[in-house]
Amino acid sequence: MTWLSSRWKIAVMVIPALLLFSVFIAYPVVYSLVFSFTRFNGFESPAFNGGANYATLFADKFFWRSLGNTAVIFAVTLVVLIPLAFGLALLMQRRIPAAGALRSLVFAPAIIAPILSGLIWIFILDPHVGLLNRILGQLRLPEPEWIGGNTLTPFSVSWVYVWSQLGFAMTIFYAGLQLLPAEILEASEIDGANGVKRVWYVVVPMIRETFIIITVLMITGVFKVFEIVLVLTGGGPVHASETLVSYTYFITFSSQRYGLGMAGAVIVTVLGMIVGLAYLIVARRRQLA
Amino acid sequence: MTHTARVMRVGALTAAFAVLVALAGCSSNGSGPSSGSIPTLDPKTKVTLTFDIQTADPKTNSPQVYAAVKEFEKENPNITVKLTGEPTDTHTQKMQLAGQTDTLPDMFWILDSDARQLNKAGKLVNVKPILDAANLTSRYPATTVKGFTDDGKTYGQPSSQLVTGIWYNKKILADNGLKAPVTFDDLLNVVKVLHAKGITTISNGSNQASFACWSFLRDLSNFGWDQKVNGLLTGTTKYNNPDFKKLYEHIDQLRKAGAFADNVATTTYDQIVSRFTSGQAAMVDGGLWMAAPIQASSIASDAGFWIGPEFSDGVGDQKVSMSVPAAPWAYSAKSAKDPNKYAAIAKWVEFWAGQAAAQTQVDGALPPSTTWNVKIPESQSVFKTGLAAAFAPGTHAPANQPDLMVPTAVGTAMYDSIYGVIEGQFTPDEAMDHVQQALDQAQ
Repeated sequence: MTWLSSRWKIAVMVIPALLLFSVFIAYPVVYSLVFSFTRFNGFESPAFNGGANYATLFADKFFWRSLGNTAVIFAVTLVVLIPLAFGLALLMQRRIPAAGALRSLVFAPAIIAPILSGLIWIFILDPHVGLLNRILGQLRLPEPEWIGGNTLTPFSVSWVYVWSQLGFAMTIFYAGLQLLPAEILEASEIDGANGVKRVWYVVVPMIRETFIIITVLMITGVFKVFEIVLVLTGGGPVHASETLVSYTYFITFSSQRYGLGMAGAVIVTVLGMIVGLAYLIVARRRQLA
Repeated sequence: MTHTARVMRVGALTAAFAVLVALAGCSSNGSGPSSGSIPTLDPKTKVTLTFDIQTADPKTNSPQVYAAVKEFEKENPNITVKLTGEPTDTHTQKMQLAGQTDTLPDMFWILDSDARQLNKAGKLVNVKPILDAANLTSRYPATTVKGFTDDGKTYGQPSSQLVTGIWYNKKILADNGLKAPVTFDDLLNVVKVLHAKGITTISNGSNQASFACWSFLRDLSNFGWDQKVNGLLTGTTKYNNPDFKKLYEHIDQLRKAGAFADNVATTTYDQIVSRFTSGQAAMVDGGLWMAAPIQASSIASDAGFWIGPEFSDGVGDQKVSMSVPAAPWAYSAKSAKDPNKYAAIAKWVEFWAGQAAAQTQVDGALPPSTTWNVKIPESQSVFKTGLAAAFAPGTHAPANQPDLMVPTAVGTAMYDSIYGVIEGQFTPDEAMDHVQQALDQAQ
């Protein structure tokens, strides 16, 4: 293997991957970054305008609203999605009847295109014609504005995101749990650890890597929530339910302020990187401690 | 050189290369249309034209255009038109990207504001010489030709005539002891009576259709839009002026009186139409293009068309009927560099300005923008009703629909402002400030 270990030959073999990375990852990012400092409407030549786009965005109340909504989805993902997916994986691991069918059912939303997920949920959550409010109405209970209102819309979007990602996260947890050595679990049982203690002191530490992977995937997913918002509310009423990505899309394409949109895209990228990296650093430090 | 230094150097070179490529992408590569006389197409030469429009599945959703294309191909057997389409938003983005990358289709629908940008970049065919050569310029109202002329070039021809207004269900009104409204006060009364009986008065929705507020855009013309527009664009007039405030306060009055359904934010355009055609709403905010689905519905015989309310506190003549040229068909200057394609495009331009295309449009319940005499089929009773109301004696058309006279970013802010009041998100003052902010940024 001397031939392969030559440094310049390794460098040559890295070139195809480097080219692909440069064209499809680095170039769009740099392109966005360059355009974020310009005034550009899509047709005329872009004109350098310094940090004006960033100043405009930071003064835009809808931008802050979209950031707030993204934060709500982020919080719901951390607090609800990950624990729920882990809990379900633990349940599925038990010897329960039709476990395979149940796993498939829970996983099913993950294979539905987000646009279809949105369509399904609009018929459930719509305040006027939705199934949920029809049932609540029959029961003579208050009929909230699940979507389309000011308060609940980001939570409803979060719930649809949780619903669509739950099966995927559960499956990865389930796969992680399957890899745990049975003898260690048995030993902990013999040592007197009950169910909760076994999960907390044995299972969780042993699948820490799985937790890290899922959390990073879900966090980065939060910064990509777009289709669900588009279908459920189109970002409305008047941008009240926009996420960072959907609002960036609006200012770029609907409003045709490409420079401003690229500034939004840069902010989304940077935020995603910061949150993802921060989590990874904290998780690694705990692992080393 | 250390390993770290080498990595940094490679990284810096890669970044510099990417910046150079990005900056190269910024440069304009506009190309002018071919000039000189219009070439003639050799009948033996086969030409295929790509034609991309703003509706998905054109055969189903734009039957008039589809029928016109078939008619055109019949008249010109050596020309094949490949008609494709996608929903308006998607199409608009597609054309913007195609304009940037110089990959425009041969013929396409485009927003007027985008067409002007492409025209400035020299990417569109000037259709005036084609129309002049075929003696067809006079078949368009002079204001239409002027409206589509910029920098001395006529960059397109109207895809149809945009006639907006409010369709109403006579039966719902009569069953509740109401007459068709004429003034805003009449409309407010209708809303109050119907709301008390649990009936939605005006069907509209902003989900993926933020532009679907046509009647309120028309109402801006009742408050002096045409007199104010130049000042708005140059910054000498403010959008948050006392006249427009009256209109926004009227919209707020309608909201408070219960004119709209409580799920406006989640309702799509298709749902707006079906709510009206299924008899679940007394009115729908729309235009003559809705005649076909209304004709096909069970309420066809009960449908009436209203140009919109007259306001006692409005500015100027209140019988405003919003009948203006719709967004244009435009033609790629790059394609026209090929003499055969240019000749084929010229044939289509002539065809669309001709009588056969006008009749095809009317047969499909779409008003043409030309002045040809056409026969409205007996089967198009709803369309006939709409036409009669829209072009009734005493009505007058404004210069254009307000959102089509301003940059796209301002137009979207106007939609936001109107739906903001309808959905209770904005007070009238906040709504107007929102548009003024967009105007300030556009300047």
